[in-house]
Amino acid sequence: MITGNFKTSYAADESLWNNWAKRYGFVLAVVFLLVLPLFADNYVLLLAGQIAIYVIAVTGVNVLVGYTGLMSLGHGAFFAVGAYTTVILHQYVEHLFPLITLLVSIVVAAGFGFLFGLPSLRVKGLYLAVATLSANFIILFFIRQDWAAPWTGGRQGIETPNAMFFGQEMLSNTQKYYFIIPICLAMVLFAQNLFRTRFGRALIGIRDNDHSAEILGISLYAYKLKSFAISAAYCGAAGSLWAYFFPAILPEDFSLNLSITLVVCLIAGGMGRTLGPVFGTLLILLIPEMLKIVSGWATGGDGRALIHFSSIRDIVFGLIIILFLIFEPMGLVSIWDRFWRVVARWPFSK
Amino acid sequence: MAQVIQYLLNGIMNGALYALIAVGIVSIFKSTKVVSFAHGHVIMFGAYFYFTFAVILPGAEFMPDWVAKWEPEWLLAYKEGAAMFSPKAAIAAWVSNLPRIVLGLVGSIVCNALLAVFIERAFMRPLLGQSSLSMILCTVGLIWVLEGSASLIWSADIDQVPPLGPNFPIRFTVFDSQVFLFSSSVVNFVIALILFIGLMLVLRYTRSGVAVRATAEDQSTAYAMGINVPAVFTTAWVVAATTGAIAGAILASRNGLSPTLGLFGLSVLAVVLMGGLDSFAGVFIASMIIGIFEAFTQWQFGGEYAEIVPYVLVLLVILWRPNGLMGQAEIERI
Repeated sequence: MITGNFKTSYAADESLWNNWAKRYGFVLAVVFLLVLPLFADNYVLLLAGQIAIYVIAVTGVNVLVGYTGLMSLGHGAFFAVGAYTTVILHQYVEHLFPLITLLVSIVVAAGFGFLFGLPSLRVKGLYLAVATLSANFIILFFIRQDWAAPWTGGRQGIETPNAMFFGQEMLSNTQKYYFIIPICLAMVLFAQNLFRTRFGRALIGIRDNDHSAEILGISLYAYKLKSFAISAAYCGAAGSLWAYFFPAILPEDFSLNLSITLVVCLIAGGMGRTLGPVFGTLLILLIPEMLKIVSGWATGGDGRALIHFSSIRDIVFGLIIILFLIFEPMGLVSIWDRFWRVVARWPFSK
Repeated sequence: MAQVIQYLLNGIMNGALYALIAVGIVSIFKSTKVVSFAHGHVIMFGAYFYFTFAVILPGAEFMPDWVAKWEPEWLLAYKEGAAMFSPKAAIAAWVSNLPRIVLGLVGSIVCNALLAVFIERAFMRPLLGQSSLSMILCTVGLIWVLEGSASLIWSADIDQVPPLGPNFPIRFTVFDSQVFLFSSSVVNFVIALILFIGLMLVLRYTRSGVAVRATAEDQSTAYAMGINVPAVFTTAWVVAATTGAIAGAILASRNGLSPTLGLFGLSVLAVVLMGGLDSFAGVFIASMIIGIFEAFTQWQFGGEYAEIVPYVLVLLVILWRPNGLMGQAEIERI
């Protein structure tokens, strides 16, 4: 709850940043992101770029899972489609302008999203989750095949091109960071904006009750398909940036693990909220780093503890999902809301 | 022709194993309306418990020797002069392994049942009354917890475990063509079939079976009729975990033991959805279809393509029948 949030016109009520907290919060975030490279080292920038890419993908998942209420465990496949589209485009055209490949990847991924969405009218809930999961397996299987190896590198993976801006190759993490962050911001804002429109509200209607939505004149099939396409497009963009960001990609990068991680980020952050994906991704991707620090303290820098690191990380990941589901089903966003409510109403509320 | 029969038989053997694993997922779904994504990993735990009780424990210092290798006088006399790889030698080897196989099975069933009770109490019970989606996602979280703890407790190396039945090749002719089977896979097939049919009969004809079906129909009415619904939930998880323990032992003796065993559960999930979540008969048919298709794909296109067969088939079937082959359509009200 934001206090001092009175409006004198409908335009103000409908605007993208409909209260001062959002407005200044956004400005602060932009300033922070702009100056971060000045005092962050290379590793932090690597993490930041990775987080930004994940935020794009999770925002895409949010459009489908959080706003439209369709379950998907196959978004890793769209991610893969975006990444491999970028790599393959660069095989045919050298020195392609990165934004063009990004756009093409988005379109191709959206096309795949359409294809995945086709069963979504007949198939619901869990059956849809397993259908998307199957599609994920099948797409990755074809990427891994030997006959696809000239384009995708097969199971050995493939080296990815560097982004070229006007003859200037982007090599350092700082440059890549400044390439990714504006795209990430734009895409998050686009999602925020989407749900102010008729289209976005229709999706929310479908989530809340699809039969009622249909009675109100929303074509379920058209909207579900479009929702699939948009959410796939987000993941395609993330995949394309992923290909630019990392020196090589492997089919295993986009396995079921990625699909589930995306959903987990969404749950941890909070479904159906713009900030949910941001918080969730920050939490999930920073956990391994925190664990590294904690295990460094606990063992005094003993290398032997690292053997168990990945197992412990898995357990912590799993426990986070479960504990969030049990104790905070609305995700980090609801903690955030509660915190600001207390601050705004202090001392009348706790 | 010979190869058709050969691969058909292989497919049926595999299909029975699928059915045995699927039965756990169905029994959980039928009573709690939760689809366990983590069932494959529960099975993996069963396999590791079997490994612990059948390999690690008999090899320990304090255990008497006969547990690891049982060789009474009459067995030595029986083994006398048996040729290598003959049925006689295989049976003798199996009998001398018998104490640790029994110990392993009992241990893994008991431990897996305890694990199931723990999972149900600690993770699923607090979510009671929430949407089934969040309970399903909870089992997705369990995947990671179980996988991580398995590789933490046991090492991530691949280990071998003793097979449940004597292992010798069986050759016989059908329609003038030679067919070849391993006796251990026949034993596995029979075990799977007995368990599957037994569970179905229990559900159909016993009081507790009726309680499970009543709970599946309507939880609050079942409560009102005096059925202990939480107990039914626990029972369903325990049933799933114990059948899973046996399936895990079979899988581990066939493919070797590694933490990736859990992934098998996901392809079984495809089987279950293809058959229809709430139909034992449908799931059985789907298991057989997928098992046979897998075997034929392996024959025609190579083993690589076999791994996506369940997923392709489930996609096709779901498009045609959104609730699986024999699943009941959910009635929705606005």
